[in-house]
Formats: sequence, structure tokens, C-alpha cells
Amino acid sequence: MATYQEYIVQNEERDGVRLSWNVWPSSRLEATRLVVPLGVLYTPMKELPELPPLMYDPILCSRSNCRAILNPFCQVDFRARIWVCNFCFQRNTFPPNYAGISEQNQPPELIPQFSTAEYIITRAAALPPIFLFVVDTCVDEEELAALKESLQMSLSLLPPNALIGLITFGNMVQVHELGTDGGLSKSYVFRGTKDLNAKQIQDMLGIGKMAPAGPGMPAPGQPGMMPQMPGPAGAAPQMPGMPPQMGQPPLQRPGMPAQGPPVPPANRFLQPAQRCDAVLTDLLGEMQRDPWPVPQGKRYLRSTGAALAIAVGLLECTYPNAGGRIMLFVGGACSQGPGMVVDDDLRHPIRSHHDIDKDNAKFMKKAIKHYEALANRAARNGHVIDVYSCALDQTGLHEMKSCANFTGGHMVMGDSFNSSLFKQTFRLVFDKDAKNEFKMGFNAQMEVKTSRELKVSGTIGPCISMNVKGSCVSDSEIGVGGTCQWKFCGLTPRTTAAVFFEVVNQHGAPIPQGGRGCIQFITQYQHSSGQKRVRVTTLNRNWADASTQLTHISAGFDQEAAAVLMGRFAAFRAETDDGPDVLRWVDRMLIRLCQKFGEYNKDDPASFRLAENFSLYPQFMFHLRRSQFLQVFNNSPDETSFYRHMLVREDLMQSLIMIQPVLYSYSFNGPPEPVLLDTSSIQADRILLMDTFFQILIFHGETIASWKSQGYQEMPEYESFRQLLQAPIDDAEEILATRFPIPRYIVTEQGGSQARFLLSKVNPSQTHNTMYGYGQEGGSPVLTDDVSLQVFMEHLKKLAVSSS
Amino acid sequence: GMSVNQGFNAGWGVAPIDLLQNRHIIPPNPVIEPPKITLQNEYWSSVNCESDIFRCTMTKIPETSGLLQKCRLPLGILIHPFKDLPRLPVVQCNTIVRCRACRTYINPFVHFIDKRRWKCNLCFRSNDVPDEFLFDPKSSTYGDPGRRPELQSATIEFIAPSEYMLRPPQPAAYVFLLDVSWNAVQSGYLKIVCDTLLAHLPDRLPGDSRTLVSFIAFNSALHFFALSPECSRPKLMTVKDVDDVFLPTPDTLLVNLAEIGSCVEDLLTQLPMMFNEPDAGNALGAALQAAHKLLGPIGGRVTVFQTQLPDVGPGALKSREDPNQRAGKDVHNLNPATDFYKKLALDCSAQQICVDLWLLSGQYADLATLSGISKFSGGCIHYIPGFHVTRFPLSGEKLEAELGRYLSRKIGFEAVMRVRCTRGLAVHTFHGNFFVRSTDLLSLPNVNPDAGFGMQVVIEEALTGVQNACFQAAVLYTSSKGERRIRVHTLCLPVSGSLPQLLHSVDQEAVVGLLAKMAVDRTVTASLTDAREAFVNMVVDMLSAFRAAEGGGGMGLTSAPNARLIPVYVLALMKSVAFRVGTSTKLDDRVFSMCQMKASFTSLPLADLILMVYPCLYPVHNMSDEDAIVESDGEIIPQPPRLPLTYERIDSGGVYLMDSGDKLTFYVCRAINPAWILAVFNVHHFSHIQDGAIDLPELDTRESKRVRSFLGHLQAQKFMPATLVVMREDSKDRMDFVHRLVEDKSDCGSSYYEFLQMLKGLVK
Ligand SMILES: [Zn+2]
Ligand SMILES: [Zn+2]
Repeated sequence: MATYQEYIVQNEERDGVRLSWNVWPSSRLEATRLVVPLGVLYTPMKELPELPPLMYDPILCSRSNCRAILNPFCQVDFRARIWVCNFCFQRNTFPPNYAGISEQNQPPELIPQFSTAEYIITRAAALPPIFLFVVDTCVDEEELAALKESLQMSLSLLPPNALIGLITFGNMVQVHELGTDGGLSKSYVFRGTKDLNAKQIQDMLGIGKMAPAGPGMPAPGQPGMMPQMPGPAGAAPQMPGMPPQMGQPPLQRPGMPAQGPPVPPANRFLQPAQRCDAVLTDLLGEMQRDPWPVPQGKRYLRSTGAALAIAVGLLECTYPNAGGRIMLFVGGACSQGPGMVVDDDLRHPIRSHHDIDKDNAKFMKKAIKHYEALANRAARNGHVIDVYSCALDQTGLHEMKSCANFTGGHMVMGDSFNSSLFKQTFRLVFDKDAKNEFKMGFNAQMEVKTSRELKVSGTIGPCISMNVKGSCVSDSEIGVGGTCQWKFCGLTPRTTAAVFFEVVNQHGAPIPQGGRGCIQFITQYQHSSGQKRVRVTTLNRNWADASTQLTHISAGFDQEAAAVLMGRFAAFRAETDDGPDVLRWVDRMLIRLCQKFGEYNKDDPASFRLAENFSLYPQFMFHLRRSQFLQVFNNSPDETSFYRHMLVREDLMQSLIMIQPVLYSYSFNGPPEPVLLDTSSIQADRILLMDTFFQILIFHGETIASWKSQGYQEMPEYESFRQLLQAPIDDAEEILATRFPIPRYIVTEQGGSQARFLLSKVNPSQTHNTMYGYGQEGGSPVLTDDVSLQVFMEHLKKLAVSSS
Repeated sequence: GMSVNQGFNAGWGVAPIDLLQNRHIIPPNPVIEPPKITLQNEYWSSVNCESDIFRCTMTKIPETSGLLQKCRLPLGILIHPFKDLPRLPVVQCNTIVRCRACRTYINPFVHFIDKRRWKCNLCFRSNDVPDEFLFDPKSSTYGDPGRRPELQSATIEFIAPSEYMLRPPQPAAYVFLLDVSWNAVQSGYLKIVCDTLLAHLPDRLPGDSRTLVSFIAFNSALHFFALSPECSRPKLMTVKDVDDVFLPTPDTLLVNLAEIGSCVEDLLTQLPMMFNEPDAGNALGAALQAAHKLLGPIGGRVTVFQTQLPDVGPGALKSREDPNQRAGKDVHNLNPATDFYKKLALDCSAQQICVDLWLLSGQYADLATLSGISKFSGGCIHYIPGFHVTRFPLSGEKLEAELGRYLSRKIGFEAVMRVRCTRGLAVHTFHGNFFVRSTDLLSLPNVNPDAGFGMQVVIEEALTGVQNACFQAAVLYTSSKGERRIRVHTLCLPVSGSLPQLLHSVDQEAVVGLLAKMAVDRTVTASLTDAREAFVNMVVDMLSAFRAAEGGGGMGLTSAPNARLIPVYVLALMKSVAFRVGTSTKLDDRVFSMCQMKASFTSLPLADLILMVYPCLYPVHNMSDEDAIVESDGEIIPQPPRLPLTYERIDSGGVYLMDSGDKLTFYVCRAINPAWILAVFNVHHFSHIQDGAIDLPELDTRESKRVRSFLGHLQAQKFMPATLVVMREDSKDRMDFVHRLVEDKSDCGSSYYEFLQMLKGLVK
């Protein structure tokens, strides 16, 4: 038998799942005593290059309140051509086109490697993706030029059939017509101070009341319509049509066709890239800074909230329930109209955490409400909202965060559109996979099915609830609960949902039938090629009686998954709860976990031991509680929102880096090696490379810095020094190439002002409280009042073993 | 006694006329000379203000109000202050000499006490003559102030020094509002307007290097055009939020014409094809609000082209016309349905914005309401009913002709006009398009050469001991070249205490002009019936007063000779589109006619008003060279006699030209000689003549040449070419012609003879 570690890695690679517990306690009571909830980190669009997609519809359990999908864990009677649903134990007959199956001739979905299977629904119309640019023009010339360049670049990356739209805003909001020819540019102009509802926006754009479009284009209002015809014949079995439940929601056709010439009005604003390329290039060329005068002492009047409302309204009535992304570029804070976060008087700074704490952020609540409402509408229609924020000051990400968080959009925070951080990050949005397809999934719905003994408590991730109350929905919520379906409007191969479960089997009831519990994730989404796809991941785990087999259960603990799940849970709570309450909760949970799984003699801290698969967990929690996710006062509200946004979507590896940054050391003493995230790692003759996910920092110890300033690396005889300097740079570049968003890249040295980024992360093992003197062997002290990891652990042990 | 007196009177042209004995009262010569004003000295008489600029209903002013009461004549003045003048003395000086007390501008009718003091002819205050005034600019010598142009012309213009400016003079600024509703696009007017604009921009539009222009199109939305030198192509910015109008961009909507170059041409070339969506809505109110916002900081002219009832956004209207009531005796809905347009016009006026309305309509557009936007902002109203380029080609011709004049004529910006009169007199009711800012000050955001005004005058104090009464009108304006100027007109009239003299001093055309304006007011404030009664009463009173004074009587109906046309004109007025009853009259047609009466927009307002009421009718089938005018280039222009407007004078074999001012109707009777038809129309038979044709073929025949040369002669006298239309006797539009034969009995009233009989019964 493989080790648990191997088992976990294997499951992660095959199914994109990591579970906090890999053996499940068989009763509700025992489950609650495990402290860390049962949760799954699931990456629904994880790239699985070995997985050939199935070109037919999945087979569903015939029980109307089950509808689970046939999977390798189902029992199959090949002779009777019957399969037993592993969720409800319904006996289902195979459809006629499976007549040829036998033990030797099994359809792929019954083969164990296909515990995750991807189906392509070939009879669904392929939809072009939609990209609606919403561009702030209240920026200086240099910024605008850079932004225009990036937008122009993105045009060249879009597939020719992608529908493109352009909205610009400043004091006013302009929706540009792209279906025009040459002679003049046309736009619809809206006042930025006005909060228009969806109906008004439709009326004013003259959309949502006309007949369908020409050939080759989905008609506005009709995306997702599936012609009722069988899939193409092929190697795969012929499948009957999917039950309606699996189809797209009913059409939302706004209004009746009006009399008049057949000009599909939405086409004015959303045109295929191949047709509007020249028009857009002209428009970008002509795009100018917001022309309204800005008096001395004032800010630009920037109508972000109105512009976004119009963008959401435009897509809502033209392409509801079709994959699309609104890409919002902001160069400052919204200063008028709906969604304003600051007024235009420069004497009034934008709110800080301190202001929020003192209930002194007068625009915040109203703005949050505005953006939340928009985010919910966009999400319900399947549309992504990305926010690309580039400014030296805050732009209101704190208020706008729901736009990206509810819709699975990107949130990018930079200083300047002219920075490589923004430019490279933006380019990565359009990154393609080996098949030359965008790494984007659109308009996804994830459904969770569980064995009877389990119920789903909720999900924390870039999604909204679809409010589908099934029998497997738990009453106790964690994250977004009360549903068994969630909408993820935007997916990337790394988008990871944290799904929490509750064991509902009553104490004393026998180990459930079959001895294994099952969970099935069914994710329908619009692939970037336009195909409709369904990914099905089914997993099962053993039940164990915790009162007799606790070691089985504890052996199945995945401390990394648990740390990330708890990190998300804490960040989620921090959005609504008081900071200190959340910290106390994190501490309490940790202490209880240690009490439950530590080995110790009562009231003897020195005797305390944790099993290997628990040993790193306290350290993760130590770093989590001092991370920017829970400690807000050194950051702006925008930064906090950005950090939390990333934590609740990234995969396990990236999330762990966010919680506990990694530190590598480069020196002449040996090959590069990971070192403790501790002040003791800061040495004069070392170069350190720190990856906090958000920052990549190269730090030259005092001696290294001194050599470098003397230029030894230029001298041929010190080639090895040049190589030593180069090694972390090369490694950093490797990270920079794939990380999204591109991290801030910092090169600093002992005593450099930027060194604070390193010093704020490392464990303060030597603070000024315990300082022996500067420059001694054993590293540099950190100026902080934080407790060190050592002190933290001592406290923890004391509390864990305490009998009171 | 009597006979000597009569002979004396006849010799002076003042013998009473018995109207019943002189039924064909209209003189054959179409030009009716205004009566002369005779002042105490020849010089004053010779320098008095031209009658086509300034005119009074009486050539003598009654000494007392009691005397005026006995005359039973309306006392008032008609003024045409900005008329194009071939010769206008312009003075530039440091100090404009004005009365210290009443601010009257020095004028030829002041009295010089000595070289250094002059006495104001309006308030009689003594003023010093400044040194500068003794300088004669012509001879560059000091001495006699009498040589100053101010004292040699009753009409004069000053270039105003800076104290006449509240702010630097504004640049010429023009905003064009173009209806692009489906209805408007279908009518085909856009191409004509854009082509005409193209032909006039930039050089023929009054202005200079600072001239600003803007174009806003509107249907149910507003469509702004952003033009800028940096941007090669126009940007169309559509604003649908018409309930809360705003300007979509701050600096590229109203742009310097000289700087944007060909961008405007591109725009005007593309514009007629640009709006091809069936958007039936019309948000005129919002478009006007946008223009107001746009021009607010500067002032200027807004030219609106409108083709239908506005039905979207602010100022939206509902149809109020019941086609079944068009022939009714009571006419309703002559008042505005909303004060939106009036209020907006007053806002415009306050910011020196004038709105000119071009209504090109095939359907009811509620001109009674819409006209408010022009009436109160000093604008003018053009109306072409039934406009459609292909269905009604004449309408397109008319638009092109009128618009050409409109665009190129002189314009004054941010103007005010003040009318002063000799102490004892007072102006009290103003007629025209303006806003009365204070008792004698009219606010005219724009003033144009075709604008006319009327004012009623009361005698507040007896003018005992005063020889002459004067009226002075001064228009302060900014020229299209950015100069602040003041144009001053002074009219001097003798004061008389003699009732017979006064009765003989009536200026009948001026009286009719003023009566028409008063009747419009009466119609709107009371009713059409009231106004029509007032017409009759006025004529009866006037004739009764004359009978009482002259002692005439017996069987006749006597009139002062220079008032003899008043009854026929009044009858014509009562049969005019504005005041008629009994025949189907569209509400907008009626309202427009009333607007014209109230504020004639045409050159020579009075003459044109008279022509509109009582057109000139000429027989043109038998013209000869007798009495013809021979032009210097040898062209012979026949001069057919003018005919009274009665069917009696229409020969079944004749052809007639009716000149009603803006329209020339070429009426061809059925029995016309086929040879004449061939010679003029180049067809063989009456039935081959194209009814409704808008021009005549150029044929090398004597008849054709005569007709065309006479037509050309009439056109040449008009500032704006009239539109010609050929009408066959069997035309469906024939009643338009017949209705204008006002001396005949028709469904809109009695014949002239019956009218005289009725008057006779009423005169006491
Ligand atoms: Zn089932
Ligand atoms: Zn005076």
C-alpha cells in the first residue's frame, strides 16, 4: 500500500481534489469533535492532459431526486445491463446504445482512471466568448497610452469569432458602436451620476427589442439554446438527449421583435473581433483623456459605478447565460454617481481600515451595495467581471471586490498601466494551453451530490449560490450554503473551490452501507472553444468509527488541505466578523485540534507531541494569524480585499505560499535550499529568495551586498559570484512567468528600505525584546512586537495540555 | 362755401370719397405711396426717418388724448429697426452725445440753444455740447455741430465704446437642431438643409475667425456631433436620457468653424444618410434644452428644423386639433398647451440665445405651443406646411430659397432695443418677438433685417405747446464681427390740435398693420369672434368719426381719401387664414398666419403684410409693351395693371398672376388661347399643362419672354425669392386661389359690396 502522501498526490493529480480528512468519521458527533471540518478543495477545470474528453452525454441515475452520473464506483451487472447508483442505490438500466457493453468492453466512464470524466455536449451550439472592455479615461496621457497599447495587444490575441464591446468612462459613460463603417464614430453617452436600472439601460441603448441577428452569430437573447437533435455518430455510444435539468435554464428573451429593418441592435455594440478589428483600432487611436476640466484641488469625476452598471445591463439583455467577461480598467476611485467611494475633493482622502473601524467611511456601505447588486446580476447571467486597478492610491477594490469575487473575475492591483506588472498580468489573462485554447472557462455551474450520510454545508470560492435546495443540502452553513449548486462565471485551470461537508449519520448507527461515502462534483461550463462541457468528478472514502478507529481517521488528515481550508474559512469570516474574534476563533480551533490529536500528559507541556501529518499545522496557523488576510492595519482596505480575493480562489499550493511564504537561500556553502521563514535565516553571506505569492523578493545579505556594490560580479575571476547573483534571479523569473497576477518583484539588501517586506514575513525569533546586539552570529533582529513562533508554540502546548 | 371747400380739398387730395360710389377702390398701380410727413421746415422733412423703417398710424400726433378719442383711430408705431440699408452713416467717437436726463441720442430734430447747448426733443432738457462734437470728421475742422452726421440723418449707427459692454462682445455662434425622426428623414428635408449649409459655410455665414458652430440631431434621442481639429472624423454621441438633458462632452460640440476645417463638410455630407432607423420619436424639448446648455455661456442663434409634434421627453405634446372642427366658428387651442417653450425661451433670452423655428410639417405640430420658443427669444418662425421633397416639390424650393436668405442675412447678437418718445406720449403694448425687459426695453438675443415690431402709443399728458412729437428707437447689438454697435432711428411727427387735419392724417396701411397685430392679441386673450367684431367696430367708428367731423351724410358712405382702403383691407383680414371662419382652416396654418401678423419676418414688414392680406393680381395673358419699363440692358418689363380681387375680373380665357408675398400663383383659365399655351408652356392643349409645376419653360417666344421678365421683375423686388406655382382652373387646389379673391362672397364671408352695405347700416 502506498503512503497517504502518495495517495493524496495521486488523487490530486487525477481528480483535482484535496480533502482535509481522507477517512471519514461515521457519526455526526464524532465529526464535530475532529475540529477541522470535512472539506474538499476542488479544482474543477484542472488541466488533465491525460484525460480524453468523451464526445457524448453522460448517463444519469433515473431517480428524479438523484440524477447522479454514472461513474467508476457504481456496481454494474453487465449481463443484466444494469448499474446501481452509488448515491441512492437505484438500479438503472443502461440505455439501448450501451447494448454492446461487457466486462471486456466497458465505456470509459466505468474505468477507474475516469473518476474524473469530461463530456463534450456536441449538440449544444458553440458560443463565441464575449469580451466587453470598460475603460477609465480619467488617467494621465502616459497611463492611457499604455492601457491602449495593452488593449490593442489583447485584440490580436482574441479568437476571430469572439464578440467585443467597448465602454469608456470618465465624467460620462460612453458605449461605443462597433458595427459602424468608417465615416464617423458613434457612441451612446450616459450621465455618470445617474443610477439607471436594467430596463432603462436597455431602452436607452435600443436593445432587447429586436429580431435575431444574421447567420453565424448567436442571436441576442438566444444564447444557450440547444437544438433538439442527436449528437454526431462516432466511436462513442449514441446518447439520448439530456434531461431538462441538465440543460441551460430557460431562455430569457427580452420583449418581442419590433417592426422595422432587421438591424440586430446588440450588434452595434458587440461585434465579432474579425469584423470590428479596424473600428476598434480606430477607436483606441482616438480615445482621449476625459475632457472635462478638473479644477485645482479636485479629483477627476469618475463614473465607475455607472459604467459598470451599463456594462452589466448591456450583456444582461443581449447575451444572458452566455459566457462573457466584462473587463473593467480603473485608474482611480469612483468619485460620483452610483458606487462612488470618495468625493472629488482632494482634501478628503479615501477611507482607511481605521475609518471603517470607526464607522467613518461615508460612501462605503452604499457603494458596496451597488457593486454587490451588479455582481449578483452579472453572476446570475453567467458573466465575469474582471477589475484591473492601476493607481498609486486606492481605487475602491474594497467596495468593488464582490464584482470579481461573485463572478470568478480577476482582480489585479498595480501602480500603473505602464508597469510590467500590469502588462504581463494582462497578457497572461489571454494565455493559451497546449491546444491553443484560452485557459478560461465560462458560465460554469457546479453541482455537488453526496451519499446519504453526508450533506454539503457550503462553498467558499469565486461563486454565487444558485439556490438549489436538494436533499443533500445541510442546514449548517459554511461559506455560501443552503444550496447544492453554485455558479462560477469564470474559471481558470487553477480556480479552486473549498467545499465543506457535514456528516449527518447519527451516533450509534452502523457504518454506512458499502463502507464508503461518495461525493460527486458535476460542473457544466462553456469551454473557451465555445463548446458546452460537463466535468464529472466522483470520489469515495472509507468510513471509520472514531470511537474505535481514531488512528485511521487521524492518519487520513491532510494538514496542507486543512490549513488552506481553515485559511479560507477564516478569511471568509473576517469579511464580516471583527478581526480579534476571528483570531480568537483560529486560536481556539488550533488548541482544540491539538488537544484532540496531540499526545501528551495532562498539564505537562514538555510531553506534547503531534504526529507527523499534523506537525506543520500549528506553524501554518501561526503564519495565517499574522498574515495580511487577518491582520489588516498595515494595509489599505483595497489591499486586504485583493489579498483575500486571491486566497479564496487559488489552488492548494499557491494558497499555502500565501499563508506561509517560502524562503530559499543561495550561498557559496552549497546548493540553493529552502530555509526557515525565520530571522535566523537572514545571514550576511546569503542571498534569500522569498515568495509570498504577491511578492518575489531577492535579498542580499550584508556581505553579498557589499561585494556587489564593489562590482566583483563584473570581474572574470569572480564568475562564480556573478552566477550566485544570477541564480535567484533565474528562479524568480520562472515563478514570474506563470504566476497570476504577476507578483511585485523586489530586489533589496540588508538595510535597504524594501527589506521591510522580508522582515514583516519572517518569524520574529529575535525581536528587540530579546535582542542581544546587532550583527552577531545568529541573524538580525526584527523590530516587531509579534510573538515568535517559539513563544507561540510554548503557549499552544501549555493550553493544549491544560486540564482545565 | 361748400363747393369751394370741396374744390380746395380735392386739390390737396383730401376730398372725402364715397366708398359705395367707388367700389373698385384698389388703384391699378401696385405701389401705394405712404403719406408724407410735413414738418415745420424743409430740412427736417427731408431728413426724417424712412417710412419703411419707422412709421406711425397717423402722420400727425393729436395734441390731446381727447382729440385722439374723437378720431377713433388706433395710434401706434411700426418699426423695422435692422432693415438692410444701402447707405448707413456709421460714427465712431469717444463719447456718444446723449441727453443727460432721458438718455436720448442726439438727432436731427433737437434744438440748438447755442453752439454749446442743445435741448432734448424728447424731454426738453438742456444739455451741453461736448468739444468733440464740434469736430466735423468729414472736413476735419472744428465749428458747426450741424455738420455732424448725427444731425444729418435720422438713422445712424454708432460703434459703441466699452461702457456699452457688460462683457466682451460675443463671437457669432450658431447651433443647428435637426429633426431626424423617421418622419423628418422621409420628408427629405435634411439633404436640402445640409446642401444649403454646405453652400454657405464658411464664408457666407456672417461671422469672423471666431465663429462657432454646432450640430445636434434629434429623434427620440439627442445626437451630438463632436468635432475637433485633432480628430479626423466627426464623433456622433447619442444621448437617450432626454428627461434629464446633459452635454456629453465639454469642449468639442460648439467648435470654431475656421479651426475644424473639412470636418464640418464631412459631417454635412454624411448627415442626410446617417439616420435610417425607424425612430418615430421627437424630443424637441430636450434638444432645445441641450442647445440652451451649449450656448448658455456665450449666447447665439439656435436654428431648429422640426417636422412634427414633439412627443418624447420634456415639452412633449399631444395633438389638440380636431379636423372636424376646422371650419367651425369658434376656434380653440390657439393658446399654448404648456408654458414649457415660453419658459425655456425666457431662459434662452436671459443668456442671449435666440431660437428660430423652421416648421416643415405635413401634419399638426401645435405651432401655437411651439412658437413660444421663438416669440419670447426674439426669434423668427418659418413654416412650410405639407413639406415633402418629392410629393410637394414646391416645398423643397421654398425651403432652399428661404434658407439661403436666412443663412446669409445680417445678424446682430446680444441685442436690446429701447423705444423712447416725447414726454407726454408713452408706448404701452408691444408686438413682435422679444421679451420686454422693462417698460421700454426689449430684449432681443438676435436681431435680423427681416424682423418687424409694433407698439401702441397713448397720450398721457397733453402736448400743448409742443410742435413736434418724436419717437426714437435704439438697437444695441454685437455684429457678427464682434463689434458692439448702436443703431438709432428717430421719427419726428407734427402735433396737431385740429380734428379734421388729424382725420386726414391717417396712414391706412400702418393702421391695418397695427390692427392686425391688435386683433391677434384679441383672438388669443378673448376669442376670434371678439377680434372679428372689433375689426368691424373699428371701421364703423372711424367712418362715424369722419362723418361727424366732416358733416357729410345722405346716402353715401364717406371716408377720408387716405383711409379709403381700410374697409377692403379689413374685409381681407377677416377672410385671411388668421381670422377667417366658415371654411376649413388648419390650426397650424392659422397660428402661423397670426404669427406673421404679429411679427412680420419679411422685409418691408408692412408692405408684405398687406400683400399677404390683399395680394396683387395681374392679368398676364395680354401684356403689351405699353407702359413697360426698359432696363438698362435693354430688357423690356411689361407692367400689367393691378386688378381688384374679384372673380368679376377673371376672364375665362385669361391667365393671372397672383403675388401674395412669398408665393406667386400662375392661374390659367380653361379657355385660354392654345397659341398662348404653346408660346408659354410649349404644349398644345390646356390639359397638357402640368398643374402644380414650379417653373415655366424658357421659350424663345414673345409671350414667354414677357411673362418671365415680369416674373423676374417681381422676384427682384423681394428679399427672398417667392415660390412660383402653376395652377390650372381645374386644379384640386383651385380654392386656394378663389379664397383670395376677397372682394367676392365666399364661404368665409360676404362680398366687399355687402360689407360696405353692412357698414353703412352701422355708421352713425
Ligand atoms: Zn441515484
Ligand atoms: Zn432728454
